[in-house]
Amino acid sequence: MVDKLGVAVIGYGFMGTTHLSAWKYIEECELKAVMGRTLEKVKEVAKKFEVEAYTSLEELLRRKDIDIIDICTPTNTHAKYAITFMEAGKHVFVEKPIALSLKDADEMIRSAKKNRVKFMVGHVLRFFPEYMKIKEIIDRGMIGEPVIARAFRGGPIPEWSPWFLDKSQSGGVAIDLAIHDIDFLMWVFNQRVESVYAKVERLVHKDITAEDYALINLRFENGGIALVEANWALPKQFPFTMKLEIDGTKGMIMSDNQSPVPVKLITNEKVASFAPETLPWRPAVHPFPLDPYYRELKHFVECILEDKTPMTDGEAARNSLEVCLAALKSAELNTPVRLPFKEG
Amino acid sequence: MVNKVRFGFLGTAHFHADSYGRAINQLPDGEVVAVYDDDERLGKEFAQKFNIEYYKSPDDLLKREDIDAVVITAENVKHYHLVVKAAEAGKHILCEKPIAVTVEHADDMIKRAEKAGVKFQTCYVMRYHSASVLVKNLIEDGAIGKVLALVGTNKLNCSLPLLRGWFTRPELSGGGAVMDHTVHLADLIRWYTKSEATEVYTEIGKNINPKIGVEDNFLTTLRMENGAIGHIDGSWSYAAGLYTWGDVTLEIIGTEGVILLDAFRQNIYYVGMESPNDKLTWYYYGCDPDLEMIKSFIECILCDKEPIATGFDGRQGVAITIASYESAKIGRPIKPK
Repeated sequence: MVDKLGVAVIGYGFMGTTHLSAWKYIEECELKAVMGRTLEKVKEVAKKFEVEAYTSLEELLRRKDIDIIDICTPTNTHAKYAITFMEAGKHVFVEKPIALSLKDADEMIRSAKKNRVKFMVGHVLRFFPEYMKIKEIIDRGMIGEPVIARAFRGGPIPEWSPWFLDKSQSGGVAIDLAIHDIDFLMWVFNQRVESVYAKVERLVHKDITAEDYALINLRFENGGIALVEANWALPKQFPFTMKLEIDGTKGMIMSDNQSPVPVKLITNEKVASFAPETLPWRPAVHPFPLDPYYRELKHFVECILEDKTPMTDGEAARNSLEVCLAALKSAELNTPVRLPFKEG
Repeated sequence: MVNKVRFGFLGTAHFHADSYGRAINQLPDGEVVAVYDDDERLGKEFAQKFNIEYYKSPDDLLKREDIDAVVITAENVKHYHLVVKAAEAGKHILCEKPIAVTVEHADDMIKRAEKAGVKFQTCYVMRYHSASVLVKNLIEDGAIGKVLALVGTNKLNCSLPLLRGWFTRPELSGGGAVMDHTVHLADLIRWYTKSEATEVYTEIGKNINPKIGVEDNFLTTLRMENGAIGHIDGSWSYAAGLYTWGDVTLEIIGTEGVILLDAFRQNIYYVGMESPNDKLTWYYYGCDPDLEMIKSFIECILCDKEPIATGFDGRQGVAITIASYESAKIGRPIKPK
């Protein structure tokens, strides 16, 4: 038996913790370290996951037994961390979006190539069971050629992680949230986006710098069209909702995460819905084979061990970011923006 | 003073002619008495169904003094000259949407109805549906604060426009899905925001059904004068095997909350066991907006009130529709006329 791959996670917020839980169940790997800025908090997390705590990049870099770095920090810091670790010969998994600029994204892609390390971006939607089923149905030709789609993704403003509300860290809803559906639609349409027309605004929350609402119209190169609505402008009680409908020449698919709920808990105080297989932070069964976070990380490990290209590699992630940036530009200029998108 | 409104139908090409006719006869103060259609077969079929007289000429029907009002459910391009004739004959007018295929025609129709002193109501049935009326009341009561964005669907089962061939013949319909299914949502958005569209941008996709000569899917983005964002998907793109005809949904985001409207959601699910392929079907039990709309129109005539959906509302829908086509052609947002 070969040695297990050593893993370190950078960041211990919502996504960092989700990944830490998932890594525990990937048997080819051993979770070894977690890094963050505040020593006290990192120590707390490290204790919970039985790993070592770091606050210094240099110290973590000295660990020779770490092969994989999983970056779950605010988006504006992705490139800096990714490139540092790639230069040190580590395989890098970075949470979506890849970065906030195409310049950063391109440098990350170049660095991964130069250093011959695997690089994957966490477009986890492709690993959600319902979205995998949609992909399968479309690939089997059951809806014919996809022609028109509508995607909805939204919930209350993510106040639990304040950096999302800061445009300079998260890029706002058009980058952080809309990118999920943009990536997925480009994948299942199997098309590049030709042009984008968008409204991106601070709709309800005027006291933050990030936009909380994005309506993005996509036109694909084959003439197909899609609406992507990414919404952080919803009231606090609104359950996090993801819906997708795609109409094609031979049929249509519809998906709505609010309707297939296998478990509901109702008490005098609250009503709660659970879809245990797709909520990794409340797993019903361990290991949780349908958990999308587990599966995306597992896919990355397979790519390392079998020397394959991850399905959400740097290029794919960069192309999705490009559409988001075009959407922001379109909203700013109030005109459709054609791709390829040029920064600056 | 009359206590009953007698209706003549001018054209029956639109599906709704039947349901409007049934609604009129269901009401104690309404009666369908005559029908004109330039398609003799359609006209006679309708006449037989309602046990009324068929006219080969609209003028002959309009000469009848016992007719108080007309329902215009002819093909879209024929609305204009029928409205002109009806106004000249002094008949009240209930006109199917879109009321015209050009803004100029719509303006002229309104002017002529005004001059003749007749009621002119647009068949915007959603203004009369109990669910969308409830939403209007919730908004007026401040339930969600100021309305900021309205994103809706009025999508249609793609098999339906094929049942009556004229829907896909632009010389009769004036266009495809954009012409047919922009106006209901555009009107709800105007009604709920009490504001007019200042900017329209439309993407028309490649067709779901390449065999028809008009577009069958589109996405329209609106900016209203008060700053609100609107979005309309009125595509005829639902698969033919869908359990229902289509939908009217609207997500309305306000400063204090959100309203989700799904107006035709009240259904009983039914499936038979004749064969394994028996498909799930919806049986609707919600509000009948056609009936409510006719009721309101009759009340406007009998009590001399202004319609809830006026000719002007019809005109604004046409203006947004025409701007949609123009914007899709030139590839940028434009202001409706």
